[in-house]
Amino acid sequence: MTATALQTKVQPVLEGTLQLEVTNVSAQTDSITSISFGDPLGELLPCYVPGSHLVVQHASGANAYSLTGSGSAPTEYSISVLRVEGGSGGSLAMHALAVGDRVQVSHPRSAFAPAATAKHHLLIAAGIGITPVLSHARYAAEWGASASLIYVHRPGTGAHVAEARALLGAGLTECLDRGSFQEVLTRKLTTQKLGTHLYVCGPTAFMDSVLEQAHDLGWPKGLLHSEAFSGAALDDGEPFTVNLARSGVTLSVPTGVSLLETLENAGLSIPNMCRKGICGECSVPVLAGNPLHRDLYLTDQEKEDNAAMMCCVSRSLDNELELDL
Amino acid sequence: MSFDTADALKDYATAGVSRHDLCFTSATPDALANLRSALGRSRVGVRVVLAGPPADVHAAASVAAECGLVDEEMTLRCNEVGPRVIFCGHCHTSTTTDHPIGTNVDCQGCGTTLTFTDHFSRRVGGYLGFSAHAEEAA
Repeated sequence: MTATALQTKVQPVLEGTLQLEVTNVSAQTDSITSISFGDPLGELLPCYVPGSHLVVQHASGANAYSLTGSGSAPTEYSISVLRVEGGSGGSLAMHALAVGDRVQVSHPRSAFAPAATAKHHLLIAAGIGITPVLSHARYAAEWGASASLIYVHRPGTGAHVAEARALLGAGLTECLDRGSFQEVLTRKLTTQKLGTHLYVCGPTAFMDSVLEQAHDLGWPKGLLHSEAFSGAALDDGEPFTVNLARSGVTLSVPTGVSLLETLENAGLSIPNMCRKGICGECSVPVLAGNPLHRDLYLTDQEKEDNAAMMCCVSRSLDNELELDL
Repeated sequence: MSFDTADALKDYATAGVSRHDLCFTSATPDALANLRSALGRSRVGVRVVLAGPPADVHAAASVAAECGLVDEEMTLRCNEVGPRVIFCGHCHTSTTTDHPIGTNVDCQGCGTTLTFTDHFSRRVGGYLGFSAHAEEAA
């Protein structure tokens, strides 16, 4: 799902994008609409890895949405968007689209891929978190891989319920409340055969809870996959200084201003996209100093190595950082 | 699971967590089938500890990986010394040898004289052996 708000000035990443036409709009529920984009000339679109997302540009910025197809030989890219009143405007813009409208979209980006060595895929989704997981379910059905799904949704508000039932049959467990989900989750986490990988998408607190319980029951990190909805709310942070070794420039990063913004204001062009520590686009090489890593992109090991940092959200533990820029 | 010496894992502490010990003299097809079926009966959350001569440990680790286990689920405790398995790149037969890295060994399958470096495959649990005199033949 990855409904991450992006700002208008992040256009560089949308260079080399696809211009597509809205080919279908259909209401899934009162608040969730599915939208399909196709090539205006009817050509096949680039295929994608299950669990990938698409960045869609709109008048006030760009947002990332999970693709719901299997990704093989797609004639269209489909997303399902939950309308969020008072959000950053992306969902309202998506809901305003009509068949025939032209949109600028990125190539699909993979950040939640199925593990090739898995013997079974245990999929877990809450609410609109169904979108990337549906992509996995379709892929599994298409390639004959073993998959099961726990889908938590409130009665009448679940998107893609009929498709999930058709794809997974007895492999689908629907939970309509928190209590029954907890019971199912504990049972599933303790009865999976070796070789099972777990994939979870939903609100941050939901994912954290699932991952923590799996960890407590002995699931190693290598078996756990999650797709972040959005970055956590971060504080303004302490001010610090950056030395740009190659340009010989020193910049100060004040409280409440990101390193990325500081670099941009100094005239540097840093590739970036989500500006929330999720996409990994704005990685900058660190030569000296200890970054305060606040992103969701780098692995724990990479964070310890301190060789790179995501300049959109990460700051500094030391008064000064030296970057290879 | 231990090979060669039955008590290799006797001192291995599992902090009160239930354990299931398998002891074999070497990684024979029978021993590996036993491991495969033990893994088939197990559930996510278990850890596998393999101890013994490197060739046997690596053969067992290869079976575990084939069953979908990731590195974090396996602990390999190899003896310091022991024979190596040389996997023939020409006929895919494995030959066990005590020769050190950089030397030659004759393949048990096709008879080719193989040389091997430290190019190790975790999937086949052996070192890649390739024709030692390929260039000279021409």
